[in-house]
Amino acid sequence: MSFGRFYRLIADNADVIGFGIWVTIQLAIVSMMIAVILGLIACLGSLSRARILRFPSMLFVEFGRNTPILVQLIWVHFAWPEILGIKFSAWTSAVIALSLQSSGYLAEEFRAGIESIDKGQIEASQALGMTYQRLMRRIVVPQALMRMIPGILNQFVTCFKSTSIVSVIAVPDLMYQAGLIVSMTFLPMPVYSFVAFLYFVMVMVIALGVRFATRRLPQFGYFNQRHGGE
Amino acid sequence: MQLDQPVKPLVRLSGVWKRFGKLEVLRGIDLDVNEGATVAIIGPSGSGKSTLVRCLNHLEPIQDGAIEIDGFLITPRGVEKSGRLLGQREVAKFRTLLGMVFQQFNLFPHLTVLGNIIEAPTGVLGRDRAAVTEEAMDLLAKVNLADKANVYPARLSGGQQQRAAIVRSLIMHPKIMLFDEPTSALDPELIGEVLKVIGELAIKGRTSIIVTHELAFARDIASKIVFMDAGLIVEEGPPDKLLTSPKLDRTRAFIARIL
Ligand SMILES: Nc1ncnc2c1ncn2[C@@H]1O[C@H](COP(=O)(O)OP(=O)(O)OP(=O)(O)O)[C@@H](O)[C@H]1O
Ligand SMILES: [Mg+2]
Repeated sequence: MSFGRFYRLIADNADVIGFGIWVTIQLAIVSMMIAVILGLIACLGSLSRARILRFPSMLFVEFGRNTPILVQLIWVHFAWPEILGIKFSAWTSAVIALSLQSSGYLAEEFRAGIESIDKGQIEASQALGMTYQRLMRRIVVPQALMRMIPGILNQFVTCFKSTSIVSVIAVPDLMYQAGLIVSMTFLPMPVYSFVAFLYFVMVMVIALGVRFATRRLPQFGYFNQRHGGE
Repeated sequence: MQLDQPVKPLVRLSGVWKRFGKLEVLRGIDLDVNEGATVAIIGPSGSGKSTLVRCLNHLEPIQDGAIEIDGFLITPRGVEKSGRLLGQREVAKFRTLLGMVFQQFNLFPHLTVLGNIIEAPTGVLGRDRAAVTEEAMDLLAKVNLADKANVYPARLSGGQQQRAAIVRSLIMHPKIMLFDEPTSALDPELIGEVLKVIGELAIKGRTSIIVTHELAFARDIASKIVFMDAGLIVEEGPPDKLLTSPKLDRTRAFIARIL
């Protein structure tokens, strides 16, 4: 295939590809935002002393982490409507499955973050008259979140890559749009090669951004500990 | 200072036992701390000094005996007032009666110095933010940290962190101040500035209990020095007497070792 024909193929389908990219980005961002909130709730639940909160939270986390994303996706899309009696769009199923997976991982990271907070912080808060709820909200969770920024960003990269799986339930993400183009043009080699290249560039850019952001963190006041002092 | 004021104990421990599993850390502590008095606790490592202080604001529950503090009663059941057991919220409120200063400062690293100081008075006591901020700046000036209000703790020296931590306690207007080796984590040249703040600001006119290895300082400020060993108060008395002519060999050996 000449470069000219390749260029025309891409140019002719630019809007189809562009739409796919947009859906992929949306999926990753929306799923991650939900996952951060769900992960935090699940984490606080699994740290709770009340068994009625702890057990379901732990189950949720372990399920999210220990089932393949493809299985979760198919299960949510085809089984949940029957279990719950509600019909979702493929997009909704995709967001649910992706959030489920990411929130499981994030909950574990949150927990490690919270448990890494020095006991002295909790004692100082208690000595100042804070209740458990207040000291979690004002002292422990904010510090844990700051420590987790690199973990959250890395999970975002993973989540972004995972989005490609949603094409199997016909969510029009980049991968699905590529399949559409192939079925119209019968040119799998150039189309899929280009899509692989696109994923590579996008993930690479995000990963580099993450690495840059993570390296800049120590310049904010709170992270200055290791370098600051006297 | 304490001329004709009626002297009554604000804090009274009777037969306090504390165990961690099988380990007996406090083995029947009796101690009175009069209103306005300063009690210094000394003793070897592991004798239970920190644990004793932490029992006073119920960071640690006790297993036997009782602690009376300004109308509250701590027993193995929890904290009681007028015979009624307090809930989690009320225990938290009770703790504001006592300020606590730690060896490791324990400033909140995600908040600025000012943020550290105004967090509890605004959040816990619901005091007006502007008024609290004004008071905070006032206190910071008194401990020579006025220019550090908007700095994160990681940027401060140990001595500066501890002074900020003291202000964080004082702004709660506690009736009682607790110090657990407030200068033990500091480089020697920074100890003086912190002791000065404790002596001249923090314990002035306030009932205080301070665990310290700074015997000269204890002699200056304490109304009573208590020597602990192996979970017991083995000797107590006025500073001059206890430091210069202790009754027990153990006490004498300990003092000789630190001096
Ligand atoms: N949370 C805990 N669980 C189990 N054991 C503990 C706990 N806290 C303290 N101990 C033990 O209780 C004993 C007394 O400890 P404590 O910290 O009160 O001593 P200390 O007199 O303050 O010593 P130091 O001068 O080293 O600070 C020690 O043997 C310690 O190991
Ligand atoms: Mg100690």
